[in-house]
Amino acid sequence: MTAVPHSPARPRRRRTSMRRLVAGSGGYQRGMVVAGFAITGAVVVVALFAPLIAPYGYGQVQDAGTYFGSQHGPSAHHLFGTTVGGYDVFSRTVWGAQTALEVIVAGTVAALLLGTALGLVSGYLGGRLDGTLVILTDAIFAFPPLLLAIVMSIGVGGGRSGRWNGILATAVTVTILFVPQYFRVVRAETIRVKHEPFVESAKVVGVPRARILRRHVLPNATRTLPLIVTLNAGGAVMTLAGLGFVGFGIEPTSAAEWGYDLNRAQSDISAGIWWTAVFPGAAIVLTVLGVTLLGEGLNDIRDPRLRARRGARRTRRAPRWFPPRARLDGTTGTPPSAGTSTTAGTSTTAGKPTFPGGRGPVPGTARDDELLAVDGLSVTFATDAGEVSAVEDVSLRVRPGEIVAVVGESGSGKSVTARTILGLLPETGLARGSVLVGRQDVLRAGRRQLRRIRGRDIAMIFQEPSTALNPVFPVSWQIAEGIRAHRMRGGSDGSGRRGGHGRPNRRQARERAVELLDLVGIPEPRRRVGHYPHQFSGGQQQRIMIAMALALDAPLLIADEPTTALDVTVQAEILDLLRELRDTRGTSILLITHNMGVVADLADRVLVMREGRLIEQADTVSLFQHPRQDYTRRLLAAVPRIGGGQPTPTGSPAPAGSATLPASASATDDDEAVVRARDLVVDYPGRLGQPSFRAVDAVSFQISRGEVLGLIGESGSGKTTIARAVAGLVPASAGSLRVLGAQLVPGGPDRSLRRLRRDIGFVFQDPATSFNPKLTIAACIAEPIVVHESLPPAEVRRRVDDLLESVHLGAGYGDRYPHELSGGQRQRASLARALALRPRLVVADEPTSALDVSVQERVLEVFRTLQRELGFAALFISHDLAVVDALADRVGVLYQGRLVEEGARHTVLTNPSHDYTRRLLAASPVPDPVEQAARRVARGADRGTGPRAPRQAIRASS
Amino acid sequence: MTTLIEPSVEGAEPASVAADAKATGLGRYILVRFLLIFPTVFILTTAVFVLMRVIGDPITAAFGDRLTPDQLHQRIHAAGYDRAILAQYGDYLADLLHGNFGTTLTDHVAVTDMLRTYGAATLELVAYSLVVALLLGPALGTLAARLRDRGVDAGLRIFAVLSYATPVFFLGLLLKLVFALWWGWLPVSGRLSTAHEIALDSHGGASGILLIDTIRFGDGSMVVDVLRHAVLPAVTLGLLSTGIFLRLFRANLMSTLDAEYVVAGRSRGVGEYRLTTRHALRPALIPIITVMGLQIASMLSGAVLTETTFEWKGLGYELTQYVQARDYVAVQGIVVLLAVVVAVVNFLVDVLAAFVDPRVRY
Repeated sequence: MTAVPHSPARPRRRRTSMRRLVAGSGGYQRGMVVAGFAITGAVVVVALFAPLIAPYGYGQVQDAGTYFGSQHGPSAHHLFGTTVGGYDVFSRTVWGAQTALEVIVAGTVAALLLGTALGLVSGYLGGRLDGTLVILTDAIFAFPPLLLAIVMSIGVGGGRSGRWNGILATAVTVTILFVPQYFRVVRAETIRVKHEPFVESAKVVGVPRARILRRHVLPNATRTLPLIVTLNAGGAVMTLAGLGFVGFGIEPTSAAEWGYDLNRAQSDISAGIWWTAVFPGAAIVLTVLGVTLLGEGLNDIRDPRLRARRGARRTRRAPRWFPPRARLDGTTGTPPSAGTSTTAGTSTTAGKPTFPGGRGPVPGTARDDELLAVDGLSVTFATDAGEVSAVEDVSLRVRPGEIVAVVGESGSGKSVTARTILGLLPETGLARGSVLVGRQDVLRAGRRQLRRIRGRDIAMIFQEPSTALNPVFPVSWQIAEGIRAHRMRGGSDGSGRRGGHGRPNRRQARERAVELLDLVGIPEPRRRVGHYPHQFSGGQQQRIMIAMALALDAPLLIADEPTTALDVTVQAEILDLLRELRDTRGTSILLITHNMGVVADLADRVLVMREGRLIEQADTVSLFQHPRQDYTRRLLAAVPRIGGGQPTPTGSPAPAGSATLPASASATDDDEAVVRARDLVVDYPGRLGQPSFRAVDAVSFQISRGEVLGLIGESGSGKTTIARAVAGLVPASAGSLRVLGAQLVPGGPDRSLRRLRRDIGFVFQDPATSFNPKLTIAACIAEPIVVHESLPPAEVRRRVDDLLESVHLGAGYGDRYPHELSGGQRQRASLARALALRPRLVVADEPTSALDVSVQERVLEVFRTLQRELGFAALFISHDLAVVDALADRVGVLYQGRLVEEGARHTVLTNPSHDYTRRLLAASPVPDPVEQAARRVARGADRGTGPRAPRQAIRASS
Repeated sequence: MTTLIEPSVEGAEPASVAADAKATGLGRYILVRFLLIFPTVFILTTAVFVLMRVIGDPITAAFGDRLTPDQLHQRIHAAGYDRAILAQYGDYLADLLHGNFGTTLTDHVAVTDMLRTYGAATLELVAYSLVVALLLGPALGTLAARLRDRGVDAGLRIFAVLSYATPVFFLGLLLKLVFALWWGWLPVSGRLSTAHEIALDSHGGASGILLIDTIRFGDGSMVVDVLRHAVLPAVTLGLLSTGIFLRLFRANLMSTLDAEYVVAGRSRGVGEYRLTTRHALRPALIPIITVMGLQIASMLSGAVLTETTFEWKGLGYELTQYVQARDYVAVQGIVVLLAVVVAVVNFLVDVLAAFVDPRVRY
């Protein structure tokens, strides 16, 4: 911890985190932790005060000349009786705790230190050393621990068993046994952490390796160690006892050891003498139980995925709106009649009818021409911080054949609304109001009724097809599952649209799957139907999701951000598919999205949500042309548009004002370009003899001083790889690359790169991971300064405050931890860090793509201003044409690793010469329904003409 | 003596070398994984050899307190233990390759014969305990994951923690005390009553697996006797493994039950029971199987201790006998054999996991 500036009051380091954890835990997990603490504490106390607690010594067989006698049962004199050798069982059990504690401490501390150090170095450096260590530790790990312990004991202790010899032998054994566990965990964590942007950003600015390991990697790679320590403590006791039991015990005159006593007690058992075995055995169980409860409890509480859920506890008291998920179908009889008291009592939206206990059809509210009628819907979630409201009083209608969009930024409650409609909230959620599907209120439906609605009346498409498809089942099976779920019960409810013919047979289901795949435009459906999800591209996966949703001809599709995970050209195809479904089959769509362009492209009607409330609704054209709410207007204004950004710059690559160049920029070669790449090639080596993957293929470009080059491309285009190559994070394979006068390729990043580090700033994509969570913002921003310039801490702090100021964050933000900042604030702080040394080149890799549009606008504005002021050159990577348009002087377009077009921004974006650029431009939807409709027509006419036609033609049938 | 692996702990995933190999097609994966057996076995054999020789030669260890220095020296020389350690190591490896594990010092039995005789008994015990564990573990683990955070789940977790915290030999002693000695329901120890053992021995041609032998022998009461002897050891070792399976199923199912594809299945009207037993279970099986491979080592450790507790004359029982007699040639033989078994079983388990995962298959 060297000269890191921080405020006088070192903020908010949680000293009492243990207590907090316990307080923050719930239910039986708290019980586990408390019991674990209590038992472990008791064992430790007994061990430490053994001389006081034990009435006799561990090797004592007589007291004042009187022998204890052999195998006496428990009595007042000998609470736990005596052994065959005449020892006092109680005393030996107590002294045994001391032996156990000694082994635990010696063994786990050594294993912890050794394993952590090895894992850290091995994981960070990788290479041959890493491979060898992995094989070595895996071999030890897979070996039966007891056998290893036996062999170790022979080797270390020579099978002899004095007190220290025995304890030392066991401690060494335990160390060797457990080193692999620490090694594996720390190594895995290190590998995870070393690719985190905050570590890479330290690398980019030239922080020395030792400092990176100490300050960035180690503190973030050790979070599971407390858990493993507790588990190993238990393991150490077990190893000690196991060795004692098989005959490597410590002689009773040297120390008390439970396993040895159990070994001796074996023959007692056959004679019905129980006390010599039961007490030492119980001591082992108790000790291991204590540390295990502690470890597991803490692990559960720290891991949000494992934590007992508040809502789950609450539900036992309060009736809920849908049957608890956590019951096996059919194992419990009646689903709780959700409506009974609470729901009816709380759904008191004025003027709306409440339905006391009603599970049956509800009369009235949904008109016959409405597929879906949501009224006064409110959703709250039970969290650790108490009840949080996600949706408040939302009402909406969907009519047949209509596409209704719900649009909003993150946290607006749009997705929660969508999921509530199908009763898919997690256990912690509680919904009030009504959601009528036909005559059925989803919120009051029983389990069976709910299942009947799902997939048959309403089907859903998810945001991320790669996670919404089950990876281990073929597509045909997954499609058939939905059909099967409804046909099976055909007879019982009698209302199945497709009639109840019992379970579809395998062939029929497969035929239907082929038909559906064909419908959504998967080529060769008959062959492809048996494939697994990972064998399809992202766009095809989303088509398959749509095919599943269509399986039962549901009249309403809920599409929750259906194109957000997809590239813009693929997005256009999916949007076309959805529209065709509506046009040809009359399917209604409730479209959930954050993207105004998608709304403009597809929707008939728009509902705008903000912070859980519905703030405006209108038909699409009038919403875009005459937004009534201020928020809607701002939202629309924030959407970047091509041509809507900055006034066209001079177009000349020369910087606007060389006079503004910062003084710190040492003039190496003023005439030379800041970055010059010639036929740059980057290959990622294939694994185990597989061919390597060429991410960047013969790309040439150059960035002059003070110039902003925007690189555009879809996923897999190589744009991020180029950014990383320029920053020296990825070695190039061929071609030449000069950055700031230093030759990176050929020759590879050498020592000279280190000096250049201070002239390069890097802004990463994901605001969540671009800062070390263990350091304050100020410490993070200060790091480049601390590493490269020896300044007094106060001076460093002043510079940091200035930097924060320049990105419009008050100096007070410096003392906060990264998680206390919003995504947009963090990206601005990230920019401040990149500019800390007044670099001559800033590389920004999709700095705004994880942000909401209104936030993105602000970050871009800050970037643009600072770039003009400081005059740094920039490589700006984005998938969004409009974002690049707002910033860049020149634009390059990447497609599958090749630079297909490069030129002045205006030329490329308004008059593209390459077909792919044209397609990209045509595919990105503009937030204007009228213009978008025109573009769609044009795109339709254009489709299939270029040499690289769209990946799939849409072949919608009937 | 179990190595506790909580799958939720990051980094507890199985061998990363193997994981790296996964992306490259099934055939290559199996090949790489197979080849990995050899360094593993080599490392372990070497480690065992080195450790056992650190303290000196086996003859001194076994007879040092009984023979005169002269006699010792003679025997050491005769056995070649006074040669250079590398030469001994080379010979040892060569012998191993020819399947020669040496002769035990204390009772002059060829180690390979001993392994063959007692290996069958160990195999039988492990098989019984796996029946117990496979009947209980997956079902209970699934139940716990499904009824997460409710009473049943809490109860099952306490059971799992207890099964981890209780040394298998202590559980064995307790069961023996209660069911065999106090209540007299089941035999105390051994694999077969003495009378039956003699009858079976005279018959000859035994496989060593008593259930098969007695069925072949055709005496119903003998079969029952075998099974009665097997109950306590099988339950003892089985409960240990049950706890492991329970944990594995609970943790992995919990995470797949939360997966988006389960929500997607639910959104299509698939019932909760089927979501659990098909949609969530199958993907959960991949990590379960892989981690289970690593647990085999723990189960073998448990088997050694269970055999010792119940005087079940298998490799584990013999091992402790030889340990106590300081017959390190025999110990070394048993340990190396078990190391090979574990390495091979791990390989098979990894291949099985690969077959369950279509992402490796295609």
